[in-house]
Amino acid sequence: MPEIFIDNVRYEFEGKPLVLQFMLDQGLDPPFFCYHPSLSIPANCRQCYVEAGTPVMNRETNEWELDEKGERVIRFFPKLMTSCSLEASDGMVIKTQRTSELVERAQKDTLEFILVNHPLDCPICDQAGECPLQIQTYKYGPEGSRFEHKKVHKPKRIKLGPKVILDAERCINCTRCVRFTEEISKTEQLTIISRGDKNYPAVAPGTEFDDPYSLNTVDICPVGALTSSDFRFKARVWEMNQTPGVDVTNGKGCNIDVWTRDNLVMRITPRFNPAVNDHWMPDFGRDDITRLNENRISKPQVKLDGDSIKSSWSNAEMSMAEKLQEVKPEEILVIGSAFSSVEDNFVLNKHFSALGAKEAVFSPFIKEGSGDGFLIEDDQYPNTNGCRLLGLKELSPSELEASIKESGVKLVISLEDDLVGRGAVSAAAFEGKFFVYMGSNHNETSAAADLVIPISNSVEQSCSFVNTGGRIQRTVAAKETMYTNRKLNLEMSMGRLDRYGTKFDNWVSDRNRIDCMPAWEFLERLATLSDQQFGYQTTRDIIAEIASVNEKFSGVNYDRIDDELGVPLISNEQEAKSV
Amino acid sequence: MAVDWRNFEPLLIPKIPNLHKIEVFEKHDGYKQLAKVLKEYTPEKVVDEVKAANIRGRGGAGFNAGLKWSFMPKPDGKPRYIAANGDESEPGTFKDRQIFEYNPHLFIEGATIAGFAMHIDAVYVYIRGEYKAWIDMMQKAIDDAYAKGYLGKNIMGSGYDMDMYVHSGAGAYICGEESSLMESLEGKRGYPRVKPPFPAQKGLWGRPTTINNIETLANVPLVIKNGADWYKAIGAESHPGPVLYGISGHVNKPGVYEYPTGMSINDLIYEVCGGMRGGKKVKAVIPGGSSTPPLRGDALEGVCMDADSLRTAGSMMGTAGMIIMDEDTDMVDVLWRISHFYHHESCGQCTPCRDGTGFLEKTLIKIRDGHGEMRDLDLLLDLCTQMEGRTICALADAAAWPVRYTVTRFREDFEKRVKNTVYALA
Repeated sequence: MPEIFIDNVRYEFEGKPLVLQFMLDQGLDPPFFCYHPSLSIPANCRQCYVEAGTPVMNRETNEWELDEKGERVIRFFPKLMTSCSLEASDGMVIKTQRTSELVERAQKDTLEFILVNHPLDCPICDQAGECPLQIQTYKYGPEGSRFEHKKVHKPKRIKLGPKVILDAERCINCTRCVRFTEEISKTEQLTIISRGDKNYPAVAPGTEFDDPYSLNTVDICPVGALTSSDFRFKARVWEMNQTPGVDVTNGKGCNIDVWTRDNLVMRITPRFNPAVNDHWMPDFGRDDITRLNENRISKPQVKLDGDSIKSSWSNAEMSMAEKLQEVKPEEILVIGSAFSSVEDNFVLNKHFSALGAKEAVFSPFIKEGSGDGFLIEDDQYPNTNGCRLLGLKELSPSELEASIKESGVKLVISLEDDLVGRGAVSAAAFEGKFFVYMGSNHNETSAAADLVIPISNSVEQSCSFVNTGGRIQRTVAAKETMYTNRKLNLEMSMGRLDRYGTKFDNWVSDRNRIDCMPAWEFLERLATLSDQQFGYQTTRDIIAEIASVNEKFSGVNYDRIDDELGVPLISNEQEAKSV
Repeated sequence: MAVDWRNFEPLLIPKIPNLHKIEVFEKHDGYKQLAKVLKEYTPEKVVDEVKAANIRGRGGAGFNAGLKWSFMPKPDGKPRYIAANGDESEPGTFKDRQIFEYNPHLFIEGATIAGFAMHIDAVYVYIRGEYKAWIDMMQKAIDDAYAKGYLGKNIMGSGYDMDMYVHSGAGAYICGEESSLMESLEGKRGYPRVKPPFPAQKGLWGRPTTINNIETLANVPLVIKNGADWYKAIGAESHPGPVLYGISGHVNKPGVYEYPTGMSINDLIYEVCGGMRGGKKVKAVIPGGSSTPPLRGDALEGVCMDADSLRTAGSMMGTAGMIIMDEDTDMVDVLWRISHFYHHESCGQCTPCRDGTGFLEKTLIKIRDGHGEMRDLDLLLDLCTQMEGRTICALADAAAWPVRYTVTRFREDFEKRVKNTVYALA
C-alpha cells in the first residue's frame, strides 16, 4: 500500500487523497480557511502550507535512490505547497508546522496578513468562540501586530437577503460562500466584487440572496462576515448547549445540531451526515425554532361549555379514562401521525389495540412538486415511512375525514398532527365526537379538541424518525420539560452555565420549561389506571421492543443509530418511496 | 558581448510604408511562410524548427516557445486553442501596440503557423481594453486575412481550418497573467488558476491551450523563412532574435526600437535614445517592466539586455520595457508609485498578495511623507519575504521584487527620508 510520511510518522493511504484532507482524517490539526471538503479547492487563503518532497526514482532500476546512509533521497518542492491542493503520492514526505520552522513562519505570516484588514471586533462578533480565524490565530498566529496604518473600510451590515447579513470588513475572501452557491445550491447568487483588499462578496444589483439554502453560507463562513439575521446578537456560542437532533420539518430528515440556552432553542445548524444531508440543510428547517419555543401547550386543557380551560394532569387522566369506559372499543378511532416519532406511534397503537380498538390509521402530508431533488422532499412530515413500517393504516385525507365522520365513531384520539390546519380534515368533522388531541403546539386542531394533552416534541425527548430514504435516525433531548432534568438525564448535554450557573444566573431559570410529557409516557400513566401498563422507562425500552416484535426494525437500537449515523431500514430506494 | 546592432535591419517592424495593408504585406513575402508550412511541413517539423530556434517568450518569463508548444497533448479531435497575450498591462511596456499598428499580418501569419503546428482550432487575441484603436486595427487585419483565405475554413487549400478572434480586456493588470487571461476569456472574474493542471492539459474551457505573447508569435514567420540557424545568430547566444525595446523615462528620444537581444544598456541609452535628458547621470534602470528589479545607474557597465546577462546583474529581461531614471529621481516616490500600482491591481484572491500589497504601500506612504522610521525599512524587506513565492500567480513576486531591490540597492535614498529613531531596549 502506498505510504506517506507526515512529520516523521508513517501513514498508509489508498487512492489519491489530498494531503490536507488526509491529515484531517488522521486527526491532525492543519490550519486552513478556504478549504471545505464538499467544495472545490481554490487554494486562496494560503494557510495550509506544508513542505513537501517526493523520493527520487532511479529510472533504470525503478527503485528509490538512496544516499550514503542508505536513506531515500527526497527532492523537496522549491516552494511551500498548499496541502489542500496537493495530491498524496507514494513515498511523499510532508513537514507541517510541527517539524518545519519555515512552515510555522509562513503560517504566522499569512495570519498576520489576514489580520491586517480584519476589524478584530471579536467581543461583539457572533462568530467568536467558534471562529476558525480566532482559534488559529491563538494557535499559530503572530504575537502582536506590526501594522500601524489605517485598515481598509468596507460596507457593514449589508442585507444580502432575507436571512443573511454581511459585514464586509470581517470577510477574508475565502470564497466559500460563493462556491457554495455555485456548486451546491446552484443558484449562483453570490460573487466577489471589486479587487485586492477592497473585495467582498455581493449579490447582483437589484437581486437578493433568497436562496432556499442561504444560511449554509453562514455556517461555512470561517469568520463572522456572514451572519444570520435571525440569530445575530442573540447568544454567545459558549453559553449554549449543542445537542444532536433530526430536522422534522421535512421528509428528508436532515441531521441537525440543536443549540439551546435556558431551555430555549436559539438556533439550528446542520450536522454532517454523508448519507443524508452532507454538511447542509434548507433554511426553513432552521425556522423551526419558533415552533419549538413559542405557542406551546403547557398543562392539559379541557373544553367546558365551549371554552378551553387549563386542567391538572390527574383531571385529564381521569376524564380520558372515564371516556374510555363509556365507549365500546370499536367506537374508538385512533389516528397516528407521520409527524410524531416511531416510539409514540408504536405505543399509541399498542395501547389502544390492547383495549380492543381497531388498528391506528394515519394520513401522510405530501405536497407534490414541492421538492427540489436536493434536500427538500415532497413529503412534509419526518416519519411517513416509520408509520408505514409500523403497519399503521394509510388513509388519504378524504378517507380520513370519512372515517372520522362515521356514526359508529364516538371517541377520536389523534397524535400530534395539525389535521385541520393543513387542510386534511375540516374542524366540523369532529362535531359530536369526543376528540382527544395529543400535541405540543396550539393550532387549529387543538382548538377543535375536547381534551388536549401537551406532549414533548422532538427536542424534548429522545425519539426516532424514518426518513424518505428509509433511514431511521434519532434525536436527543435538548430542552428540559417540567419533568425532565438535565443533571439526571445522562444523554442531555451540559453546558458551562448548566454546570456552574446558579439559580440567580440570568440564563438558568425554570421559565422556559414546558409542562408536558412524552405521549408514550402519558399513555403509560393512563394504562396504570387499568393496570395494563407496559413498563417502559425510556424510549430505549420502546425501540428495543419494536426491534424484537417488528422484523422491519430488527437490529435497531440507539447505540447503533448513534454509531452509524442512522440505520437504513429500507435498502431499495424505489421501495422507500412506496412502502 | 558586442552585438552588431548598427547594421541591424528591423525584422518585426521593417521600415516599409503601409505594411499593415494586406496587399503591401503580401508584396513583401507576406504569408509565403504560411504557404510553405502548409505545403511542405508537418506539424512536428514546425515545432522542432521553432524549438531549435530557441525563441524565448517575450512576455516576461523567457521560456522557449517551441518547447512550450511541445507540451500540448496529442490531438483527440476536440477543440484546442491558442490565447495570444496582448494585454501589455505591465507599466513600462508598450511594444505589442507597434505590432498591432504597423505589422499585424506578421503576427497573424505567425499565429496561424503556430496553430497548424499544434492542431489548433481557434486563436484568441486578447488585447487590453484601453487599446480600443488598436483592437480595431487588429480586427481589420483579421478581416482582411479572412477575405484572402489566410484564416477560416480550408486555409490556402490545405484543408486546415482555424479561426481567429479579437477579445478586449476590461482594464485589469492581472488578466495579463496566463491563467486569469483564460478565466477572463471565458467570461469569468480574472482570478489566476491553481496549477496543476497546466494550460496545456486543461486550459480554455477545459481544453488544451497554449498562451504566447504577441511578439513571440510574430517571430515565428522569421524562423520559418530563414531557418533556425539564421535566427539563432541574431543577438545574444542564449536568448536570440530581434526584440522590441520599449524605452521610456528621462532619455532624449524615448520610443520603441527594434534591435537584437544582448544590446548593452549603455548603448541603448546613449546611442539609440540620444543620451540622458539635460546630460544628467543615470540613477536607475528598470530593464523589463515595473516588476523587474531596478539596476543602479553606476552599475550598468557591461550589462546587456539578455536573460543571462541580466540575471548576473541581478534583474530580469521581462518584456524589455525599459524605464530610465536620472539622478534627480526620488526612488522613494518611484517605489511608492510602483507599489500603489500593485496594490490597486492585486486581484484579491490569495492572502499574502491581497493584504501584503496594501501593507507595502501604506508603509511606503509613511516613509514618503516623512513619518517613517529605520525599522520600517526592515519591515518592508520582511514583508517581501512573506509574499515572495507564496501565492497562486506571480503577482506577489512582481509586487515584492521592486520593493526588495529598490530598498536594498537605493537604501541611502530611504535612509535619508526616515527618522533616525533609536529605541532603548528595556
